[in-house]
Amino acid sequence: MAGSDSRLAQAVREAGGRITTALAARFRDFDIAEEAFAFACAQAAEAKGHAPPRDYGAWLYAVALRRAYDLGRRARVRGAYRPPVPEPEATPEDLVLAAFEPIPDERLRLIFTCCHPALAVDARIALTLRTLFGVPVERLARAFLTTETAMIQRLTRAKRKIRESKIPFEVPEPAAWPERTQAVLGALEVAFAQAYEDAAGTDDAAGLAGETLRLSGLLAELMPGEPEVLGLAATIRLAEARRPARVDGVGRMTPLDQQDMSLWDARLIVEAVVLLRRAAALGRTGPHQILAAIHATHCARAETGRTDWSTIVSLYDSLALLRPHTATQVNRAVAIGAAISPDAGLAELARIKGMDGWLPFQAALAALSVRAGRHAQAATAYAAALAMNPAPAERLYLEEKWREAVSD
Amino acid sequence: MQYMLLIYEDENANAAPQALQEVVAAHMRLAAEMREKGVMVAGDGLQPSETATTVRTTDAGQSLHDGPYAETREQLGGYYLIDVADLDAALAWAKQVPVPTGGGVEVRPLMTY
Repeated sequence: MAGSDSRLAQAVREAGGRITTALAARFRDFDIAEEAFAFACAQAAEAKGHAPPRDYGAWLYAVALRRAYDLGRRARVRGAYRPPVPEPEATPEDLVLAAFEPIPDERLRLIFTCCHPALAVDARIALTLRTLFGVPVERLARAFLTTETAMIQRLTRAKRKIRESKIPFEVPEPAAWPERTQAVLGALEVAFAQAYEDAAGTDDAAGLAGETLRLSGLLAELMPGEPEVLGLAATIRLAEARRPARVDGVGRMTPLDQQDMSLWDARLIVEAVVLLRRAAALGRTGPHQILAAIHATHCARAETGRTDWSTIVSLYDSLALLRPHTATQVNRAVAIGAAISPDAGLAELARIKGMDGWLPFQAALAALSVRAGRHAQAATAYAAALAMNPAPAERLYLEEKWREAVSD
Repeated sequence: MQYMLLIYEDENANAAPQALQEVVAAHMRLAAEMREKGVMVAGDGLQPSETATTVRTTDAGQSLHDGPYAETREQLGGYYLIDVADLDAALAWAKQVPVPTGGGVEVRPLMTY
């Protein structure tokens, strides 16, 4: 029954994070939540051939919930875990009734738990992505430039600290928000970078983008006085607005300045501009607002017909002061290449040391070299970028550009 | 849940009698508040680390060492043992513990058996 298989896969993708999160919040234990959900998925896979449930998500939640009670009971016998909730007698009737119980949305609570300042910074982000979005450990390891083993250890340590130190599963009081906003923003940003990574928007990445969009909107609603939260929500909307234009008919990446603007999502752009105005009215600038302004300047091409590169360069100048990351410097070099001359961009790029092994660096070097007429240098840089395992859409684009550079 | 708040501070920071009096008074107020809220299990200050003796265990057996376990600038100066709902509550109390600049309060949950 291929139909029910794909419906199951869809339910796992769409409801998986919500189910794991709801279980973690209810049982105050991430391992029990993950194990129970994995069990429910296995049960569903085994049960295929039978009539599939009408609502797979609710079914998975009901099965996982019952399994979580079992696991909690076993852990309690071992003395490792004391359930904080009274344990009901699970009967087959309960399972049927539970199927009609909506899956509670505990994601905000969980993001604050996962992003608790008592946890190591890298662990916060990884645990949030793992729990809320079900990002595979392998992808997390890639995003954090570490090994899978190290990532598993980091996650295990964080989960253990939450359990043993009893970090609460609550949305913090308003007074504690500022202290805890920063960590949440970091988590969201990396989640978004993950979603944005693959221009083609494969199922996994698109799912992540949707979650990030929704969660950032929710945080903007809950923290209207935090301009950086609004700024990041705006950035995510502006970048997502361009998703339909990021790949062409054959699945090849289209660079921002060559995208068909009629494909951009005007509704998301308007939402972002409103968020950014509200943030500006609060009068406290920050890196996320500046980044959003850079995106907004790119998107303004839809109205003005041209990209205001000199504004983008000055925004990158401000961003570089607040956030002197390599990515900022590379993007700034690209903007200078467009605003002044390709050679000026290459000169800026040459000042960034030790990033030869970073794909965006090689891609920027290649693009600027082409425009400066240095085709041999461009071909070398494209080849280097291709050797760094780009996402499929970017690979197609880079391959084509590499062929052009070699034949010129 | 019980948490121990371990107070690490530069022992010379409160050397002046005036400063010492102020710190002691601040601890008294904090302890009184903890008792009033019913969270205090225990709490004490320790004599300076120069009074410490450490029993070290090595492959060769045990030996005595005149001094604290670790010779660092900041030393364990005292502790509170509190019983509160969760880490956030424990951290809120920890933030109220008076420590001189450079010092710190380590918050550790107790093992439950």
